[in-house]
Amino acid sequence: MWSLLSVAAALFAAAASAVSTGGSRLLVVLDDVAEKDTYGQFLGDLAARGFDVSYETPRSEGLTLFHLGERKYDHLLFLPSKVKGLGPNLTPNRLVDFVNAQGNILVALSSTVPASTSLVSLLSELDVSLPIERTGTVVDHFNYDTVSAAESHDVLVLDAPSNIRPGLKSYFELPGGVLAFPHAVGHVLGSGPLLTPVVRAPATAYSYNPKEQSEILDADELFAAGQQLALVSVLQARNSARVTVLGSAEMLQDKWLDAKVTRVGGKNVKADNKEFARRVSGWTFQEIGVLRVNGVEHQLQESDELNPEIYRIKNDVSYSISLSEYSWDKWVPFTLPEDDVLQLEFSMLSPFHRLDLARTGTTDDAAVYGVSFTLPDQHGIFNFKVNYKRSFLTYVEEKNTVSVRHFAHDEWPRSFVISGAWPWISGIGATVSGFVGFCAIWMYSKPAGKKN
Amino acid sequence: MAAKTQGPAVGYTTESTRTLLRVVILCFIAAAAISSRLFSVIRFESIIHEFDPWFNFRATKYLVANGFHKFWDWFDDRTWHPLGRVTGGTLYPGLMVTSGAIYHALRTLTIPVDIRNICVLLAPACSGLTAFATYLLTNEMTTSPSAGLLAAVFMGIAPGYISRSVAGSYDNEAIAIFLLVFTFYLWIKALKLGSMLWGALCALFYGYMVASWGGYAFITCLLPVHALVLICMGRYSTRLYVSYTTWYALGTLASMQIPFVGFLPIKTSEHMPALGIFGFIQLIGFIQYVRSAISGRQFQTFLVTILVATFGLGLLGLVALTSLGYVAPWSGRFYSLWDTGYAKIHIPIIASVSEHQPTAWPSFFFDLNFLIWLFPAGVYLCFQDLKDEHVFVVVYALFGSYFAGVMVRLMLTLTPVVCVAAAMAASQILDTYLSWKSATPPEEQEAPKKVKGGLRGSDKPNVGIYSNLTKVMVSGSMLVYLLMFVSHCTWVTSNAYSSPSVVLASRMPDGSQHIIDDYREAYQWLRQNTKEDAKIMSWWDYGYQIGGMADRPTLVDNNTWNNTHIATVGKAMSSREEVSYPIMRQHEVDYVLVVFGALLGYSGDDINKFLWMVRIAEGIWPDEVKERDFFTPQGEYRVDEGATETMKNSLMYKMSYYNYASLFPAGQAADRVRGVRIPDQGPVLNTLEEAFTSENWIIRIYKVKDLDNIGRDHANAAAFERGQKKKKPTKKRGARVLRVD
Repeated sequence: MWSLLSVAAALFAAAASAVSTGGSRLLVVLDDVAEKDTYGQFLGDLAARGFDVSYETPRSEGLTLFHLGERKYDHLLFLPSKVKGLGPNLTPNRLVDFVNAQGNILVALSSTVPASTSLVSLLSELDVSLPIERTGTVVDHFNYDTVSAAESHDVLVLDAPSNIRPGLKSYFELPGGVLAFPHAVGHVLGSGPLLTPVVRAPATAYSYNPKEQSEILDADELFAAGQQLALVSVLQARNSARVTVLGSAEMLQDKWLDAKVTRVGGKNVKADNKEFARRVSGWTFQEIGVLRVNGVEHQLQESDELNPEIYRIKNDVSYSISLSEYSWDKWVPFTLPEDDVLQLEFSMLSPFHRLDLARTGTTDDAAVYGVSFTLPDQHGIFNFKVNYKRSFLTYVEEKNTVSVRHFAHDEWPRSFVISGAWPWISGIGATVSGFVGFCAIWMYSKPAGKKN
Repeated sequence: MAAKTQGPAVGYTTESTRTLLRVVILCFIAAAAISSRLFSVIRFESIIHEFDPWFNFRATKYLVANGFHKFWDWFDDRTWHPLGRVTGGTLYPGLMVTSGAIYHALRTLTIPVDIRNICVLLAPACSGLTAFATYLLTNEMTTSPSAGLLAAVFMGIAPGYISRSVAGSYDNEAIAIFLLVFTFYLWIKALKLGSMLWGALCALFYGYMVASWGGYAFITCLLPVHALVLICMGRYSTRLYVSYTTWYALGTLASMQIPFVGFLPIKTSEHMPALGIFGFIQLIGFIQYVRSAISGRQFQTFLVTILVATFGLGLLGLVALTSLGYVAPWSGRFYSLWDTGYAKIHIPIIASVSEHQPTAWPSFFFDLNFLIWLFPAGVYLCFQDLKDEHVFVVVYALFGSYFAGVMVRLMLTLTPVVCVAAAMAASQILDTYLSWKSATPPEEQEAPKKVKGGLRGSDKPNVGIYSNLTKVMVSGSMLVYLLMFVSHCTWVTSNAYSSPSVVLASRMPDGSQHIIDDYREAYQWLRQNTKEDAKIMSWWDYGYQIGGMADRPTLVDNNTWNNTHIATVGKAMSSREEVSYPIMRQHEVDYVLVVFGALLGYSGDDINKFLWMVRIAEGIWPDEVKERDFFTPQGEYRVDEGATETMKNSLMYKMSYYNYASLFPAGQAADRVRGVRIPDQGPVLNTLEEAFTSENWIIRIYKVKDLDNIGRDHANAAAFERGQKKKKPTKKRGARVLRVD
């Protein structure tokens, strides 16, 4: 333990600057401050990563999320707490306000402790439903840990997620690893696009209430089963604040971080809970998957003026956007996931162009994506818009408004350049010369002498 | 004033004294014309009025700030968001260029005047010129020296013209009426003299007129009609030929220099009469030449048939070209001139403008007072002495009266001819009855019979006035009428036409004036509290004002060039929130502005205009917006608890009455415009939040909410904010909704 703490202290010194992009103030809400020792490794790891961890219980008097309208903490970690409601300082409205103010929340649940109503309300606003009566445990009679839950089957041993969805970054993917989920609470996700399940229960799992449904589970009363039951899911709000629901708080405890688990008929292997916990917390607290737009440049192709406010129809323009990604402690060039493209829309009401941006350059900490194209033959107020919104990555919505004007009166080709105008020009010439000629003849011809 | 104008008639002897007097009187008239238009400045302040002037003012500021070339190519990205408007090519630049020129001229004279003051005072200044132009025009009609001065006075203070030219009414008409009258004067002059120079001058001012006002089409049509009537009367002359061809050729070239007009003079039906008469007059000229060379009656009749045939063929060709699409048919505004019901059925956007409504009878008297019954007398006098210029007055009177009857705002084009004709009649009366000389016996009045002019029936023997009592009575009653006219004009000007409509005035119980300044309060709020590029959605009436006063981009404005875009706004206003919100998001709307008069009893508010929004939206989306749904089954348009569901759920209704009932004690919320009781339970707004409400609740501004941060719909998010618990999601009935990933 001591060695671990000293390592942590050393790491802390090294990583004091290397902190999350969202800020370093982390508040852990737990039943009893003394309880933090059961999560010692996990919390120590967080502290080592540069977080300034404070601990409060829901009953604490001085607990507020906001001070003078400003967020007091950048991140919240909810560990299971036996309090039914979380008190006046952690009402669902406050928590939604916290998310709206770009605060991140990691909610860890446990089937041994009923979830607080405040959290249940918060999650239901996010379209995440928990079992009725706030309790329910996920069991799987095929994927359980034969060592610790030989009878109850409520410690799930699952393959670590791989390929959650095509075209996403692989932050949570630990190929070949296994995860142990002791006493997990399953939850069901609504169909909102902001939600992404990270770990789903296997097809053979189901959720039941051990107190009331221990004998018989009516199909009508079944909360959820199989793949619909999510164990870990993430939500990224539109302002890129992150909320993670972790079905099993126990998996963060020291005893489960490196626990050895055995599947039915399998070998005794070491669970990858530690690495997974690091990644889940790192993602939630904005240490990974954070994108930064360093700058947008658009210009006429033959001009040096950057980002003009007005273009003309049919101009040739080039556009480039520079993106960086935060990876634990440094900014690195952003590389697109496989099977994904970064697109530029040139739009007024609807896109007139939708173009794939190609990588045109890379610096130490930024990747530049760009494209060149010809503006449409339509004047109006257009947007250069990069609307790159993917799960696990902070949203990029870069809108640069420019006006596209019509041809000025002196920008059209002159009439003598247009071959179709030649007949008319020659007509003018003929009329003028005819008139001048007539005048000349008229003036220089001698008047006929008066005959009569 | 009336007394002054009688001065010359009393009879001074020397010519130079008369001229001096005339100049002095004209100066006085101009001063009277200008000063009677200053009511609004004195009552309120030096402010631009109403709606369109705000655009003209903004355009003038742009012109002064950026120069003429930039103005010419101006692409305005702060109106019609996100379409923008090619403003430089879609406006009549005459007004702005005039103000800009005055501004720069004063600058070079080292008189620094604010451009706003130039704009405010341009219309009164032009009215002085109009009075002078009317004087010139009338003098061409009659030999009576008093007629011109009377006409100048009439023109100077007639409410029909003042309505569009008070100080601050910085509109195209301000300058265009002067140009109209002056162009007519030059045309008469050119026609009388058969002079190319006057014809060219006429064309020049016609070009200026085209640059200034869309109403130039009135000249474009009236001059050919005049020429045609003269030809049909057998009055073709080389004078007519020279003046008409000079005017047409140069005038058309001049008009084509205006980008907004461009090729219209050879493409649209409005301009075809002028082109047709131009060809016709060439033909006549040719025939006249042939006839002078070869004589013979049969040949002449043969030629006449040829003429008729050519005319008919030309007309057929025009119809064919129109139907093939080479010549644009009459525009909707023009159709509504012939069929007053046309716009109401086919183009609601035109019918929705109050100044496009047919004129009510009282407004003729209101705007012209006793001139309206002197007018026919003046026209009759023209028949008595039917020279070419009198034919012009007759033709002008005929068309002017018709158009003024069809559209309220065309009263403006009628007013000059009314003033001219009425002045002729009045001066005839005054000249006859104010003469000290006794009438000569009727036997000696046998004048040589005029062969050319005059109707046969009008050649009555002249009768003189013998009794002084008659003279005193008639001229005395005339004087009374003139005085009444002056007082009526002053009263109308001060009471009806001097309100800026941006600032409203009301009377306090003790009689003092109370200014209601909600419009400017709200626009100032927008200017100070919103982002520079915050897009404001409102009904198009307020577009120019928002652009001018608040300096914020708008979706639609009074330049109603894009009916679909206006219908889109109409749809957003008349639909449910769930329908409106995506429209507003798509158009990047940040704020919505509505005008609501229920608290104050201000009847020009959006609820009263609402049916037009519905109609215009229905024109584009007949399946989604239905006017019928806004009426109760009994066919009533109601806003109280008996309003239809569609009405109650429409965004406009919600925005108007949001929180309104909370102003009143329970059960007493009343709408003072509609005169009904409003239910205590007001509408609920989910996608918008109230941002600003002006002092008297006339302007209400709402902010469009962003999408919910955590992905709920607005109704749920708003319910959560209000503290309502979400319904238990687990108590599901029926099949489970599964998430598919």
